[in-house]
Amino acid sequence: MANLRDVYIIGVGQTPCGKFPTQAAHMLGREASWAAIKDSGIHARDIEIGFCGHVYQGMGVGQRTLKDIGLVGQPVINVEGACGSGTLSFWEAWRTIAYGQHDVALAWGVENLSKIMSGGPLPLEEDDIEVALGMSMPGLYAMRAKKYMDEYGVSSETLAKVVVKSRKHAAQNPIAQFRKETTIEQVLNDPLIADPLTRSMCCPVGDASAAAVLVDGDTLKKIKRDTSREPIKVLGCIAQSGGYASPTGLTCDPSENVTRTSQMAYEQAGLGPKDMDVVEIHDAFAIAELIVAEALGFAKKGEGARLVEEERSNYDGEIAINASGGLLSRGHPVGATGLLQTVEIVNQLRGEATGYQVPDAKIGLIETMGGAQPAMDGITCVVSILGK
Amino acid sequence: MSENDERRVLHADFFTENPEPRLIAGKSKSSGNWTFPPYLADPVSFLDDVEHTQLPRNGILHSFTIVRRSLPDFTVPFGLGLIDFPDQKIRVMAQVEADDLEKDLKLGIEVETIVGVVRKAKDGSDIYSYKFRPVK
Repeated sequence: MANLRDVYIIGVGQTPCGKFPTQAAHMLGREASWAAIKDSGIHARDIEIGFCGHVYQGMGVGQRTLKDIGLVGQPVINVEGACGSGTLSFWEAWRTIAYGQHDVALAWGVENLSKIMSGGPLPLEEDDIEVALGMSMPGLYAMRAKKYMDEYGVSSETLAKVVVKSRKHAAQNPIAQFRKETTIEQVLNDPLIADPLTRSMCCPVGDASAAAVLVDGDTLKKIKRDTSREPIKVLGCIAQSGGYASPTGLTCDPSENVTRTSQMAYEQAGLGPKDMDVVEIHDAFAIAELIVAEALGFAKKGEGARLVEEERSNYDGEIAINASGGLLSRGHPVGATGLLQTVEIVNQLRGEATGYQVPDAKIGLIETMGGAQPAMDGITCVVSILGK
Repeated sequence: MSENDERRVLHADFFTENPEPRLIAGKSKSSGNWTFPPYLADPVSFLDDVEHTQLPRNGILHSFTIVRRSLPDFTVPFGLGLIDFPDQKIRVMAQVEADDLEKDLKLGIEVETIVGVVRKAKDGSDIYSYKFRPVK
């Protein structure tokens, strides 16, 4: 492998998460992108290339976004990797700088789901043989939950506790979609979507955008910018497509993909799970926080539930997981999610997460997991490790 | 097949009903590896020596859920399961029927391949495909 250049995030921006049916995706995108450029302190014309993650926003949404902030002509690549689209666009921006093709890149994610649906499961690809037979993401995660609960003796109350923690965190996050705290009883009394998952154990339909400006180390020193903002270094960034799932694994186990990808990211960063202070996990459904925490090495197999039960993964616990509220409560505007997670970690490392700041956060990890395919362990997994 | 001629069938190439309902998988001549449905090239040997071969009729219910809110064109509630064929190392996702979904579906039970209605077409007509149900 070539010697990679150091890459830094010098600016971030985001919109609130919620339902904004009158705000087209590119309108959300331009707001987040402009905020990131202003935060970076560089001139907008210094952006050499853009990568826009999305899933449902149609032809040329990236170009539509940048047109409204004066950025035309430079290459823009629209990136789709299911729910991992946002971090896949971040990975594209990271690698074009790391490999020396460009010096300054903008990565952003956009999604407006409320323009295409009011609620219910995410529309999936009809050509997929399992989708055509009735597979939905809640259904898939429900089967994972049922098997996990049986294998490890975990109850629905524990899944409800994931949601209670998530809402408690989100109550302090000004951009979160759900900021009202809840109780175990409320979560369990919600309507069942797919047994054992109740409605609040599933992420909401929502809209948002988030963005980041990335530069290489030399450019960081010489580019004209407002230097009051603290640069955050990308210590590791790995993208992997799904592999064939082990037939003996746990129900189309996404953790196989997360384990594989995170081990490569840890190796790239020269760090391990114990070095992480703050983590954003792709908890599209409550069960995912438990399974993915194990896959990332924060708990042994079957012991992810104890992190929640013993309140060790609260924002002020031993490993802060989803201090933002995660996908369950901050929201999951699919193509924007990976960048929302990234902006959250940058804010935590800068010490700017007022009200839910993880104490002394120096290193953070972002895990994004996209989609499902028959016999595979997902469509896209991206794991990034950031440090200051 | 006269009644079948009237049916709208999804994934017709992936199952047979003669002499009994079974799924059609792919098996590589060189590696012996199975896939469902058949792939163009075998992912173990990377050779295009895939034969189309029937799976056993019965499998094991690895996990399941009762879907209560679904995409349009599906009648809820319905059972959705992952069915293992251990000897072939194949896991198939499909709908699982039962007289009583809440009582009859359990992890680890034996289920058999059947053909039945899986969804509605846009014009409201039934669409058939492979499904499973507990062995009685």
